[in-house]
Amino acid sequence: MNLSSTPVTRRALFASALTAATAAVTLVGCSDTEGAGTAAGSASASRRTLTVGMELAYPPFETKDDAGNPTGVSVSFMQDFADAYGYELKVENMGFDGLIPSLQTRKADCVMSSITITPEREEQVDFTDPYAVAQLAILANASSGIESADDLNQPGKTVAVKTGSTGDVYATKNLAQAEILRLADESACVTEVSQGRADGFLYDQLTIYRNQKANPDTTVAVFIPFQDPEYWGIAVQQGDDELREELNAFIAESRQNGEFDKLTETYLAEEKAAFDELGFRWFFDFDEQDAATGDSAAADAGEAANSEGKDA
Amino acid sequence: MRIELEGVTHAFADAPVLAGIDFADDVSTLAVIGPSGGGKSTLLRIVGGLIAPTAGTVRVDGAEVPRDGEALARYRASLGFVFQDGGLFHHLTARENIALPLRAVHGLAEDRARRRADELLERFGLAAEADKRPSELSGGQRQRVAIARAVAPRPRMLLLDEPTSALDPEYTTEVLNLLRDLKDGGTRFVAVTHEMGFARHACSKVAFLCNGRLAEYGESAEVFSHPRTPELKRFLGKLLEWRV
Amino acid sequence: MRNPFVAGRDGRATPAQALASYALVCAAVIGFFWLSLAMAGIALNLDFVAQFRTRIADGLLLTLEISVASLVLSCVIGLPVAVGQGSRILPVRYLCDLYVKLIRGTPLLAQIYLFFYIVGTAWGVENRFAAGVIILSVFSGAYIAEIVRGSLSSLDSGQLEAARAVGFTRAQTLRYVVVPQLVSRTLPALTGQFASIVKDSSLLSVIAVIELTQTMQEISASTFNLFGTYLVLAALYLVLTLPIMFVSRWFERRGSYAH
Repeated sequence: MNLSSTPVTRRALFASALTAATAAVTLVGCSDTEGAGTAAGSASASRRTLTVGMELAYPPFETKDDAGNPTGVSVSFMQDFADAYGYELKVENMGFDGLIPSLQTRKADCVMSSITITPEREEQVDFTDPYAVAQLAILANASSGIESADDLNQPGKTVAVKTGSTGDVYATKNLAQAEILRLADESACVTEVSQGRADGFLYDQLTIYRNQKANPDTTVAVFIPFQDPEYWGIAVQQGDDELREELNAFIAESRQNGEFDKLTETYLAEEKAAFDELGFRWFFDFDEQDAATGDSAAADAGEAANSEGKDA
Repeated sequence: MRIELEGVTHAFADAPVLAGIDFADDVSTLAVIGPSGGGKSTLLRIVGGLIAPTAGTVRVDGAEVPRDGEALARYRASLGFVFQDGGLFHHLTARENIALPLRAVHGLAEDRARRRADELLERFGLAAEADKRPSELSGGQRQRVAIARAVAPRPRMLLLDEPTSALDPEYTTEVLNLLRDLKDGGTRFVAVTHEMGFARHACSKVAFLCNGRLAEYGESAEVFSHPRTPELKRFLGKLLEWRV
Repeated sequence: MRNPFVAGRDGRATPAQALASYALVCAAVIGFFWLSLAMAGIALNLDFVAQFRTRIADGLLLTLEISVASLVLSCVIGLPVAVGQGSRILPVRYLCDLYVKLIRGTPLLAQIYLFFYIVGTAWGVENRFAAGVIILSVFSGAYIAEIVRGSLSSLDSGQLEAARAVGFTRAQTLRYVVVPQLVSRTLPALTGQFASIVKDSSLLSVIAVIELTQTMQEISASTFNLFGTYLVLAALYLVLTLPIMFVSRWFERRGSYAH
């Protein structure tokens, strides 16, 4: 990544602050080129930057580590993709509302931020093949008696959703009887439910599972599937077929070579166990037939593709 | 108007300003002179009921000056004050500055108060300024409006606190001329002033206040031509130093 | 005929001059914005305005209602606090002082979340409109207290002495001198504060008060028309705040005698 650029900037600033002669600045410039050359070794000089937009507020998929660096399933995934296809990865953190506009204004090359593929979004951007599948669940107030989505679709019931999320879309379409409370922040939605201001909060199963564990006395989780599964895709600029094809190829490889299992192991081991126990479909258990067939063969193919990518 | 002072003493935050003033006389026009910080303005405010003295008594026309309440407000209303600067209400026009106290304090009807204000503005050459606020007037015009406000309710006496010391010389003359005209018309006043010509020629009596004491008092012609105390001699000598 | 774009020596402009120059400046700003849009390759689509006009109008109305209610309530809070800051009863003085410092020293967003989810829940403030008005009033009250305190301390002692000298009683001094001077000094800043309230009310969207900003965010979320909605949002706020700012300026000119 762009680790090398930080000291250069500092030195350049330092130099200009001292109003040193231009020679000094040139010197810094020279040493920088040299340093970069040795660090990159034999890698080709034309490594392209891949700017990925993410909302780093959705652990463990997109989040920040304690030091503030981007981390999570999507970050690791994109890093592996960038390594394989010869990109310099740059993660841009932005609000969920700004993700699609960042593609339209070419501030980002692609967006991987647990975005559900919807026809409306497909009018604005292009999506890769789905890489994960999720389902909505309900975080209900413990004393609300909510046991299904139908229980929420009643006059006098209040449903909290995150503005613009698929929960919002679902509630707007299917819970017309209830009052819909659109909030910018997930934790605000959870607070609304745990305080009893809202009866339920519609969001993906993982978030609901985690927040129910965090508020065991005031909330209950309703996991009964009440809608079609949502497929998450990586969004690219409209017409950017080259990048989309590369991503599609990498997604296909990852499904074969255990990349997703590795990510699950790293970030989601506990949740996976809980989901298995509850009998839920796992995020990356997508195409059950394909997943069942020979792992070793797929892994080989993946490795081949990987090394090919590095050489390119 | 008879003014009687007995042992009038005043201190601001333990700093003595007046150290026991005794005085009794019938006053028609009195100039109070003396070096700065001598307690002249404080004494004027005590006589006018704006400050209560730390000790001593003040009697005017035989009655003690009230210390608070309605009686004090009525006492103040029976006098006319003119301050060095800033005595006019910023937010009111020249006419309203005169008419408002007439209505609110002296109970005049709206049209009578207005007529009285216009009559005085006319007399003082300020008819064109009636609808202007103080910030739109010259310093001399402001002081003339202030004098008009002070004389409007026909007070028993004017109390003037350095009415010209914030003014440019040309405005000083116009204000002093106005005061001389008022005196000739029978208006009584006590004036704290640095204008020795005015004190000497327009005031019948002069009081010289120095270091919180009444150092000299008498007919102005007498006091100016034959100063008795060394303090007054020194004071007048200093004033003459730069005389043309 | 003098140059239409240069004010007279006294710094004043004729109405025609003012109008011409203002139009020129507005055209330049709008032109710059259009150019930026073109250079960024963004095609503006404002079709959603017609489609959602009822919701937009409702949001605008609610913003106005919240702002007016908050202005009234924040004056009710701010005036006593301004007086209380000069109180001789020390706990009262320090309470007022602490209130002003706490409110002015923390972001409105934090105040909204903390008040709504902690204080509001504890004391049963369920209605979001009411909660929004209370939060915004408590916030704005601190600023109004500072405005009023500033006017109070700028009251000239010479004016009070003059009031005593003409024979006004305490009540008359308050009525004829203190209040009129305070009002004329406070009104411009108070009007400006109203414009701030209108803008600040947009943050109430985080607790799902469906005012103008929340309405536009909801529309943006379903149409993905981020630029169109925020452009219309900004324009609608200007429709509210520009006239207020002109009134504020007018008050300022009218009351300029004090300075």
